[in-house]
Amino acid sequence: MLNNFCFWFAALVALGASVLAVSRRNAVHGLLWLVLSLLAVAVLFFMLGAPFAAALEVIVYAGAIMVLFLFAVMMLHLGPAAQRQEAQWLAPGVWIAPGLLALGLAADLIAIARLAGDAPAGAGIIPPEAVGAALFGPYVIGVELASVLLLAGVVAAYHLGQRRDRSLGEGAGSG
Amino acid sequence: MSIHTIGVIIKDWLIGLLAGWGVPVELSRLLIEVLTWAVGAALCIIAIMLAALVFIYLERKVSGYIQSRLGPTRCGPVGILQSFVDVIKLLLKEDIVPAEADRVLHTIGPILFLAVSALAYVVVPWDEGGTVAGKVDAGVGVLFMAAVGSMGLIGIVVGGWGSNNKWSLLGAIRGAAQMVSYEIPMLLALMCVVLQAETLSLAGIVEDQKGSIIAWNFLRPWMWLPVVLFLISGVAEINRTPFDIPEAESELVSGFHTEYTGMKFALFFLAEYGNLLLVALIFSVLFLGGWLSPFGYPDPLRLPGIIWLLAKSLLIVLIVMWVRWTLPRLRVDQLMGLAWKLMIPAGFVALGVMCAVIMLGWA
Amino acid sequence: MPDQEGILAQLKQRFGPDGIVRQLTADGILTVWVPPEQVRAVLSSLRDDVSPPFRMLYDLTAVDERQRQVRPDQPPGDFTVVYRLLSLEGNADCRVKVALTGETPAIGTVTDLWPNAAWYECELWDMFGIRVEGHPHLRRLLMPPWWEGHPLRKEHPARATEMAPFRLPEERMALLQETLEFRPEDWGWPPPGPDQDDLYLNLGPHHPGTHGVLRVICRVCGETIRDAICDIGFHHRGAEKMGERQSWHTYIPYTDRVDYLGGAMNNLPYVLAVEHLAGIEVPERAQVIRILLAELFRIISHLVFMGTFAQDVGMMSPVFYMFTDRERALDIVENITGARMHPSWFRIGGVAQDLPKGWEQLLGDFIELLERRLNEYEQAVLRNRIFRARTVGVGALDVGTAIAWGATGPMLRSTGLAWDLRRQRPYGGYDQFEFDIPIGKQGDCYDRAVVHMEEMRQSLRILRQCLQNMPAGPYKSDHPLATPPRRAQTLRDIETLIHHFLSVSWGPVIPPGEAEGRVEGTKGLYSYYLVSDGGTMSYRTRIRAASFPHVQMLPMLCRGLMVADLIAILASLDFVLADVDR
Repeated sequence: MLNNFCFWFAALVALGASVLAVSRRNAVHGLLWLVLSLLAVAVLFFMLGAPFAAALEVIVYAGAIMVLFLFAVMMLHLGPAAQRQEAQWLAPGVWIAPGLLALGLAADLIAIARLAGDAPAGAGIIPPEAVGAALFGPYVIGVELASVLLLAGVVAAYHLGQRRDRSLGEGAGSG
Repeated sequence: MSIHTIGVIIKDWLIGLLAGWGVPVELSRLLIEVLTWAVGAALCIIAIMLAALVFIYLERKVSGYIQSRLGPTRCGPVGILQSFVDVIKLLLKEDIVPAEADRVLHTIGPILFLAVSALAYVVVPWDEGGTVAGKVDAGVGVLFMAAVGSMGLIGIVVGGWGSNNKWSLLGAIRGAAQMVSYEIPMLLALMCVVLQAETLSLAGIVEDQKGSIIAWNFLRPWMWLPVVLFLISGVAEINRTPFDIPEAESELVSGFHTEYTGMKFALFFLAEYGNLLLVALIFSVLFLGGWLSPFGYPDPLRLPGIIWLLAKSLLIVLIVMWVRWTLPRLRVDQLMGLAWKLMIPAGFVALGVMCAVIMLGWA
Repeated sequence: MPDQEGILAQLKQRFGPDGIVRQLTADGILTVWVPPEQVRAVLSSLRDDVSPPFRMLYDLTAVDERQRQVRPDQPPGDFTVVYRLLSLEGNADCRVKVALTGETPAIGTVTDLWPNAAWYECELWDMFGIRVEGHPHLRRLLMPPWWEGHPLRKEHPARATEMAPFRLPEERMALLQETLEFRPEDWGWPPPGPDQDDLYLNLGPHHPGTHGVLRVICRVCGETIRDAICDIGFHHRGAEKMGERQSWHTYIPYTDRVDYLGGAMNNLPYVLAVEHLAGIEVPERAQVIRILLAELFRIISHLVFMGTFAQDVGMMSPVFYMFTDRERALDIVENITGARMHPSWFRIGGVAQDLPKGWEQLLGDFIELLERRLNEYEQAVLRNRIFRARTVGVGALDVGTAIAWGATGPMLRSTGLAWDLRRQRPYGGYDQFEFDIPIGKQGDCYDRAVVHMEEMRQSLRILRQCLQNMPAGPYKSDHPLATPPRRAQTLRDIETLIHHFLSVSWGPVIPPGEAEGRVEGTKGLYSYYLVSDGGTMSYRTRIRAASFPHVQMLPMLCRGLMVADLIAILASLDFVLADVDR
């Protein structure tokens, strides 16, 4: 009973926060809603018996990636002009078609979920050991591929991050 | 009698009471569950408040001692009431929001910072079987703590950006870069302990060290590197000297909380001291045997485990204070260099050593 | 002593005997008048061709001559611009004067010869209304941009009673504050906007890292400083203007407050200059007492430097220890003079009083204590690895640049040049003392700290010599212009009594002429350039402050470094804003 209540509450928060994340004109506000949405999803994972996935969701997405997003957005010069542009993008003509498509997908999802029948929330808890065993057992090829991809990403990031010495302090002004 | 058994006794008593009033057992169980959570949350906040009250006084006295002065002496005997006076002062101050600031974010920042700090207390094993929420620790206490710890940053970043002040923004940016970087060596050090204990549960890590002081992790040679790494990155995570660059007074005025006054400032302040205690607690749990007595298990002195835990944490807090009042502050690039060029490689080395130890069967 | 005649002959050979007119001054510094159209050529040849070359522009100022009464053998003119040059390798001085006529005269810039002329020339415009042609950015330097008039001109009021009552309605205040807003366009910086990645950071005037009311506007890219601009003048109190309204004697307390950490050290160049003018010989005991006080204040000032430096790089504790020791030194000052930070204790012709009984004990204890404590500070601060990482190689300066920018004192010595005025041109009895000149290697923040630390040890050495060899004798000269005159004779005959009365009530009448008094101050060379018109007040008082050129170097030193380095450099410059702004 309590679990169900928590589940619905978290699901509602996740949905609402996602909608707000899309519709906010202020990019920083939008990102914060997105963080909330991710946290709610983490709670869902937890309720479904996957504490490991929940923790990873928070560490990786809410904790690291979103902070970097925030970081980047804050460095941009976002003023009234940027907000006006956001407002333009939020005109009904722009969002109605994708919105309808998304609704269709949602309906699909619900239908499939109903067909599949009820799987009780939190039926079994998957311990981290099981996750590890699965990753390095049946899915080891996938894990290796992903790690190679990540390595490539790191190398690329290192290459891009290297910048040629820009001359500093060329400005005028004799003090 | 441990905290856990007290909890069970209170629970049973409440159920009996409610049943006497004719409430169905199922509903009363639910109510009590919710109540337990609420009490747990309140306990976390209270722990932070108490920690802040004690530590503010302690910090003043310790810094006074280190700087060959007396510290507070006027409020109460040996200035013991100084913290309370500080709190009253902060409560009475006007709450100022800069005209051009983002009012919402400016308010959310400190709240988020404190909330996150309080959340991490949920998984601290205070005594045998005594986390505030035993369930969360089910298998991922370490992960939960790491996850929540990484969220604290958002409060700093949001508050710093929301103040619409360049110094705050610089402080927030420095804070973000620093905390993201130091999380990595911290987690690597954590992983060594996890490998040693073969569990992600903090309570389990303490269980693993059962015995007298010689069974504790910090006396195992392959744990020495993780101990150092964890202590350094822990100090960096809570932004204290020599890693206090997000609020470096002489450089950034006051960093991310430049524009905060009154209670909002107090929230940042509370959370910082809360984090200080948290790092000390976690360090004690990971390396100093948590609630275990140094004289063996069960404790020959029969002291509650929480006393031992707090005593160990206090020791760590004093060390951190000692460092703060002694060392200068690193520059931002040196700080990042230390994390990425020294500590992270060292963390991997520590992890490798740990793996080797396990494979050789010494652990 | 430098060969003045030789330098004069070289100049006359280049510019003809008519172009160069020599003036004799009380301080014996080679002073030449040159016509305005030739000044640039003369200065440039003094810098490069003459032997020894004058590589440093030591000071640049002007005198409003329009009310001057006694000017024998000097070309006519309304304003005189004075270039004061210093040759470190030749240990020679030179003063080049240019007479200008008209209400708002103009003169060419020398910023291309000496980069530190930039601020001095701004000061010319600000204080005298002398336009400097070709100056890259002529502006109000010390006065606010909305100020009307030029304060050091004779027609500008010196006292509030000569002006209309002061009123500052809200609207006017808002208007005045608006003028302080930074406009990047004025400095050739792009205006802030979406295409502009650099951040303009306004550091000060009330920032915890600026040691007073200094404003630095930084153009930062990330945390890297691409350029910076110093805005000074927030601490300007018109100390030079006050010199024209105070008697020779009553100006002494003002000097204490110029470098407010240096206390009695500031009295010394002023009284030396007046004594030059009056021709007073100071008795030995007074000389040694002066040196004792000056060195004590050097230690006091350096202790503040070390403490605040450590604090600015994040070390919170050393400052408490050093201030405690400073208090002990101030206790000694208090026991000797009755005051602590600003004793105003030197007098024209000597000092105010003899040393009190028991001073030897106090001073001896202090020397012993501080010698031990300095070793501790070296251990705790200078040998700290983080401190070294923060300061070694930061804000480095080479000898040539330091000289070109007018750096003196510890700033200059940290670059590796052992040039100390106390050794090169012993004044006030320093030739009797033994001490070393500590130098640095690469002129970075760390070397500056090391030089300061070592100088404290040398000052202790000098203090010990004062302690062991204090001569007996009078503490004030018997010269009639020594102020206040000694009283012993006044009770015997009416003539001396009348002179005593006049000298005390009006102040001494100093013979006409001009002289400069210089000392190796706590932060560099301090000098007072005084022009007397034969009155009871100075006609012109020029204070050459060491901090002024040092702060001017800040943008050059911090370019390409980080904000945290800027704070370390600021701390290592050892400046006092009161000294910069005067």
